Amino acid sequence: MKVMELENLTKRYGKARGIEDVSFSVEEGEIFGFIGPNGAGKSTTIRTLLSLIYPTSGSAKIFGKDCVKFAPEIKQEIGYLPSEVFYYDSMKVIDLLKYSASFYKKDCTARITELADAMNLDLGRKIGDLSLGNKKKVGIVQALLHSPKLLVLDEPTSGLDPLMQQKFFSLLREENKRGVTILFSSHVLGEVQKLCSRVAIIKEGKIIKVETMSVLKENNYKKFRIETGSPVAEDDFKISGIRDFAVKDNVITFLFKGNLNEVTVLMASLDIRNLLVEEPDLEEIFLHYYEK
Amino acid sequence: MNMYFHELKALRKSTILWALSFSAIVVVFLSLFPSISADAADFKEMLASYPESVRKAVGLELETFFSFLGYYSYTFVYISLCGSVQAMNLGLSVLSKESREKTADFLLTKPVKRSEIYTAKVMAALTSIAATNVVYQAAAWLMASQVAEEGYNRMAFFQISLILFFLQLIFLFLGLMLSVLIKRMKAVLTVSLGVTFGFFILSMLIATGDGGEAKRFLTPFQYFDPLYTISNGWYDTPYLAAGVIIVLFAFAASLYLYWRNDIHSV
Repeated sequence: MKVMELENLTKRYGKARGIEDVSFSVEEGEIFGFIGPNGAGKSTTIRTLLSLIYPTSGSAKIFGKDCVKFAPEIKQEIGYLPSEVFYYDSMKVIDLLKYSASFYKKDCTARITELADAMNLDLGRKIGDLSLGNKKKVGIVQALLHSPKLLVLDEPTSGLDPLMQQKFFSLLREENKRGVTILFSSHVLGEVQKLCSRVAIIKEGKIIKVETMSVLKENNYKKFRIETGSPVAEDDFKISGIRDFAVKDNVITFLFKGNLNEVTVLMASLDIRNLLVEEPDLEEIFLHYYEK
Repeated sequence: MNMYFHELKALRKSTILWALSFSAIVVVFLSLFPSISADAADFKEMLASYPESVRKAVGLELETFFSFLGYYSYTFVYISLCGSVQAMNLGLSVLSKESREKTADFLLTKPVKRSEIYTAKVMAALTSIAATNVVYQAAAWLMASQVAEEGYNRMAFFQISLILFFLQLIFLFLGLMLSVLIKRMKAVLTVSLGVTFGFFILSMLIATGDGGEAKRFLTPFQYFDPLYTISNGWYDTPYLAAGVIIVLFAFAASLYLYWRNDIHSV
């Protein structure tokens, strides 16, 4: 069953770009990644799905129902977590969560304590006194407390330290095992890779590709930066899979896709002073993935 | 009902403060009445020396000023100004505070219709105003029973006091409509004071000018003339109707726009 179905969803803000003809669908039980650089239209798409903003044209269905017409009904089963969370500062955490729970037709008390325990969240504190990370935890509990069937997460990891991020991801996997569908938007490819089975890539308001993760992974570039003690002959690095090779003084940078052992063999003969291997950012991936 | 109670709780402190302030104002004003009426002759002489336009602008009528109701009508101008500021504040802030405090994403992703949010918030604002008026009426009534001359017209006194509620209704809904029209409102108080005082000054200008019957429709402060109410036992119907029309129109417009507006990200 399709949990989400977007058909030519378009939102224009006067002359400013919104999103243009966005179409994709998300199957039940999927963790669906939604990636693109900042300002590509991820939030606009998500806000349209939640009928915070209304589409200029096109439509979207959630649980088979139109997302504008049946918004209140659909939202019973949606949990939403934005990248920046804001709540009523003068309220205590527990009061906010109870207020949040009061919108749903079920008893969420047990789930609140369970989630707060898992996230290590102090329920007695005032929201205004919380740090950014702790506020984010409130957001996570708030999004999950009514056991929704669909989670909509808009760059949810910002403000979470690596440890909390890990906990959060394991929470998401647990939810997913229970059959919860997740839409996960991000501009960090790494976290989408960790979690998602399929992704849609959005750029400048348009979907440029909907792909399964395994295909994306085949295009998995690594970004190398090697500082050496002595100059390096450029020719040493003429192996297949290397792109954007550049030498500046004693620093070599390049992107590599393929068997990493080939590079380590090459590096073994170098006088290495410093070495950095990282994931290329999304822009770089886009550039290479689509220049064909 | 959860949203209604949530809003009510948020309004509790300010409502108590406003209600107490109004009570204090009416107590202070009315407690001055005995000494003023005692020195009526001297006062009359002094006030008569004021230019007529000044007396008109501040609503002074020499013939009625020294009766209890006349005096009350005079002081009531300032009470209704404060009341309008309260109502305008409420109207401007009750819907817009979710965007200003960036909590709109929380509330508007809940499984409720926007019209339900609107209703809950406006009902809470109305409750706040109603509570303010109940407290005010009680304080005014108590004070009147202390200082008024025997056998003053209680019905007229009540009808004048009720003007506060009518004016507040008008300004509440005007505020609601403005709050959905202004895209990014930074400070509520500046807008609220600006609009209310704008109408108030306009009202003073109209009072001093000539042939103001049609001009009186321009500002709600001219809709309810306490002196007319004292002598006719009812409000000036065309202006009362204008008030009702404004409330209905602003209600419909604000509801429609609140339902239709995009909620932009922070």
